Amino acid sequence: MIEVQNLRKKFGTINAVDGVTFTANSGAITGLLGPNGAGKTTTIRMIGTLINIDSGAAMIDNINVALDPGGSRRACGLLTDSRGIYTRMTARENIRYYADLRGVTIARSEKTLARFVGWLDMRDILDRRTEGFSQGERMKVAIVRALIHEPANVILDEPTNGLDVMSTRALRELVKRLKSDGQTVMFSSHVMQEVAALCDQIIIISHGRVTAQGTTSQLIEQSGKQNLEDAFIALSDVAETGDLHHEAA
Amino acid sequence: MWDTIFIVCKKELTDHLRDRRTAAMIFFLSIAMGPLLLIGLTQFIASVEKKAEAREVFVQGKENSPEIVNFFARQDVTVKDPKQDFRELIKNGKHDPVLVIPKEFAEKLSTGTAEVELVFDDTRQDSGNASIGVLRRLMRGFNAEVSTQRLIARGVSPQLTRVVDVQDVNLGTAAQRAAALLFIIPWITLLGCVSGVTAIAIDVTAGERERGSLEPLLMNPVPRAGLVTGKWLAVAIYGLAVAALTMCGFALTLNFAPLPNLASVLSISPAQYLGFAITMFSFAPAMGALQMLIATYGRTYKEAQTYVSYLIMAVSMMPAIGLLAQFKDATWQLFVPMLGQLMVITRILRGETLSAIHYLLPLAINATISVVAVLLISKLLTKEKIIFGRA
Repeated sequence: MIEVQNLRKKFGTINAVDGVTFTANSGAITGLLGPNGAGKTTTIRMIGTLINIDSGAAMIDNINVALDPGGSRRACGLLTDSRGIYTRMTARENIRYYADLRGVTIARSEKTLARFVGWLDMRDILDRRTEGFSQGERMKVAIVRALIHEPANVILDEPTNGLDVMSTRALRELVKRLKSDGQTVMFSSHVMQEVAALCDQIIIISHGRVTAQGTTSQLIEQSGKQNLEDAFIALSDVAETGDLHHEAA
Repeated sequence: MWDTIFIVCKKELTDHLRDRRTAAMIFFLSIAMGPLLLIGLTQFIASVEKKAEAREVFVQGKENSPEIVNFFARQDVTVKDPKQDFRELIKNGKHDPVLVIPKEFAEKLSTGTAEVELVFDDTRQDSGNASIGVLRRLMRGFNAEVSTQRLIARGVSPQLTRVVDVQDVNLGTAAQRAAALLFIIPWITLLGCVSGVTAIAIDVTAGERERGSLEPLLMNPVPRAGLVTGKWLAVAIYGLAVAALTMCGFALTLNFAPLPNLASVLSISPAQYLGFAITMFSFAPAMGALQMLIATYGRTYKEAQTYVSYLIMAVSMMPAIGLLAQFKDATWQLFVPMLGQLMVITRILRGETLSAIHYLLPLAINATISVVAVLLISKLLTKEKIIFGRA
């Protein structure tokens, strides 16, 4: 479970994240939806301990990330848009390196790896050096690397960015599997269909604030629009004027 | 912490040894450095000695003064004709100095004072100028002989004109003069220790940033200082390998290559090799740490390379600054990286005795540089500008 309370972050004079509060439950998929520059990535980086939190708190399975960064990193697997892998090493070695750093035994990591290899269809690339891998192949390595310690919480920042249809589909399947295993899955996106198809809960972030949250149908109802896309636009826009309640009424 | 250091170090070493071309280049250059330098030096010393001992001089216009030719012959000196365009050649450093005897020499000599020309170029620091001394001495001898004869002919004792008789006593041999060039050995080897680790030092820092692998790496539940120390250890091991290979190159060349000229100038005992090794082994890891620190500011490999090149330039200029400022060997130099190492190794090569402080002080300085650099890099890796600032 990931809980975020009144999270704030300022870069210079800009309030990148301005009081974000939400909860992502175990065994559910939570989508962070928002326009570019809304503060999704900054929120994720704060939860992932990569950026210091100005104020507020983020908890992963009741571990305060600011107080116990090591513990919270162990409890979650994070895939950000930095997906660099080492090109002179094979896919397996890349993954093994992270398993070692997290203290996962070889036997255990091989077992986990075997599972992912089946799900993501990586058999052919596993023992090849990653030089010249396609974007989809690199994403697969990066995602297995991020999850090799079998964390109970998974955070994916725009995971389908730049992926082809096949890889996108493989990734969606993976997300569903993680959910059915009882893991907390949170991912950010600006692709409506993806979010609508996968998420149990959608959190719309705009200008560093949560402007609406709920299931797809709740959001559509709340905005009085026909589909999620229109609802999203309405719910993002009104945030600026704070007119949400009027509009919803 | 130790686990992290070991895992990171092992990964970086494997990763970089797989960069075959760079690794092969670095290791080949380090082992080849000794032989190349020593053979070059031997050639130089040999040519200096040959010229100094040469009993051959170039004279233009022999026919104008049989007396001079005769005098030279009595001194066991062979007179040779210079090439046609010797003036141009001397200017280009391609001809030895020439004594020019003008047509009217005999006539002038019989009536009083005659002139000869010594053609040379003293802006040329090459070995050719050794024979200018020979020519001068010969002409001084000829002068003395002729004037002595004239005085005797007039019934005057030649002793009258010799109030003070100056005789040259040169204690330095030509080989010893060439030994002044020995400073090249520490200079080049130390520079090798610095530039040999540049590629890996940049790759483990700026390379991670450029690749986009730094952010996920920092997400691992390990202390940053552990990550950085592991990286530094890999760089240090690389640096030690470069230093060790360079030493091997020197040792093998000195012991097995037929370089008789060099043996008179340079012979290194096992104890001296040890001193040489201690100095290099403490220097290479510190320079690796410093380059990593500088490279951390680079968003890309290229950018980091530019920053690091300033350090390499500063290090390579160090001996030149030392020469220009005419530093005498002094303890304070031990505090300055590169300058201290240069001084210590040069003294080792000259066969001078050194005390423990000459090894321990630079060692302490280098250790401090490494520790401070590792801590600073760890600190930098908490900065958002460094983690996320990508080109």
